[in-house]
Amino acid sequence: MKVDKTLVASVALHVLVIGWGLISFSARSLEAPPPESMPVDIISADQLSKITAGIKTGEKDKPKPPVEKIADARPVDDAVGKITEKKEIVTASAPEPPPKPVEKPVEKKPDPPKPVAEDKPKDEPKPIEKKPDPPKVDPIAEALKSEDTKKLVPKPEAKAAPPQPPKPKQERTFDQSKIAALLDKRDPTRQSITGSALNSSASLGTTRGAAATLSQSELDAMRARLASLWNVQPGVEHPEELYVTVRIRLNPDRRLAAPPQVVSSGSSARYQAAAEAAVRAVLQGQPYTMLRDETYEQWKYMDIDFDPKQMFRS
Amino acid sequence: MNPADVAQAALPLPSADVSLIALFLQAHWVVKAVMLGLLACSIWVWAIAIDKMFLYSRTKRAMDRFEQAFWSGQSIEELYRALSAKPTQSMAACFVAAMREWKRSFESQARSFAGLQMRIEKVMNVSIAREIERLERRLLVLATVGSAGPFVGLFGTVWGIMSSFQSIAASKNTSLAVVAPGIAEALFATAIGLIAAIPATIFYNKFTSEVNRQAQRLEGFADEFSAILSRQIDERA
Repeated sequence: MKVDKTLVASVALHVLVIGWGLISFSARSLEAPPPESMPVDIISADQLSKITAGIKTGEKDKPKPPVEKIADARPVDDAVGKITEKKEIVTASAPEPPPKPVEKPVEKKPDPPKPVAEDKPKDEPKPIEKKPDPPKVDPIAEALKSEDTKKLVPKPEAKAAPPQPPKPKQERTFDQSKIAALLDKRDPTRQSITGSALNSSASLGTTRGAAATLSQSELDAMRARLASLWNVQPGVEHPEELYVTVRIRLNPDRRLAAPPQVVSSGSSARYQAAAEAAVRAVLQGQPYTMLRDETYEQWKYMDIDFDPKQMFRS
Repeated sequence: MNPADVAQAALPLPSADVSLIALFLQAHWVVKAVMLGLLACSIWVWAIAIDKMFLYSRTKRAMDRFEQAFWSGQSIEELYRALSAKPTQSMAACFVAAMREWKRSFESQARSFAGLQMRIEKVMNVSIAREIERLERRLLVLATVGSAGPFVGLFGTVWGIMSSFQSIAASKNTSLAVVAPGIAEALFATAIGLIAAIPATIFYNKFTSEVNRQAQRLEGFADEFSAILSRQIDERA
């Protein structure tokens, strides 16, 4: 029969295929690159609180625009800033001993431009909007400016030279740092409000941030207090029966906002006694002065476990 | 001890051998049986396929040759004499059967023309049917393997996964290194099932259409030839 021949052919074919499979079908193990290590710093609770702390006096309404670069920001809508500077230079160069009085008059003279120019170099963009009041000169800012200006000196001088006939009369004391500061004002002409300075002032922190966490020490203190107040017979059999969970709600004044609720359940008489003791302990323990204001969100609602093993561990 | 050995020894789990042979050897005996059965199926399917391929091309060539001879103007008597000497197939067989019937009717003294036409057609039909049967033989094997192969393979896989899960449960260890070899060997059964079934299905479809084409060609010839003979009958009657 022909099938015999073809059967042989078929077998040969399969042998070939399987042989090829044996050779080529070797499992390659997948390469698993080790995950990149992530550096972890361990910081103390104290450090954490310092990091996340905001300043209470910060303004909430006007969020500061984040500024990363000083130079690149695009100019403000109105060109006010640019115009002012030239005139100011003149005035600046003749500063009276007390810097503040000098600057005020000077700046008011050039009416068209608001004193924006002066404010820009300062750290915060905000003040610009407040223009009307005299700009405060703050020594640190001045110092900073002076540092900046040293680099930039060549330009501003070139600009400054031509326009300045108006007020040569005033005495000119040569005070390098002040000149630098004044020069600084005009050279940032281009800087837009948003881009004028790094926004380095402290923020309020995010509204939803939970960075302030209930610290272990607070918890421990509270636990210690409750343990001292929880009057339950230790050392009885089956202490696990005495496990009581009490839910409390606290006011910011650290007192209970509502009567404590026993969440756990148990039937034995000893459990009932323990639960009542726990409730009493919670009531007696207030106010819980060990809790911090910052973490109110954390301890507003609490489930307190009264566990004989935990409480009397020591 | 060279570095490679050290590296090997350092591995916590010696990586399981997953070559084909190892996959087969590690399998449960049911899975093994399934694999072997499917392998046998595959071999059988390919044997049939190779056989049929040759058969069909041979048949086709024979038909071509016969038609050429038939329509070449050669006398039918001579053709019959040449063909009837040796065993024939397909169209030639059909022709020979019809001619034999014709001759018998004429050579016998009875000279019964009545029903001769019908007899010739019957004879030709029988020979066509025999021919088609020969062409179609074993095609059902292909169809069966094509349709049932994946299921059989799947059965092997399910069984393999079942047993590997049982062994997971027994060892209480679910790490992938424990699970993987069992599942790989189980899936191997499905792979073999598919390897057997896919060619079977393709060959079955191809061969079925081939058989249909050849059967149609045979019937066409039979009709033509019976028309010719029927004209002869009417002329001689």
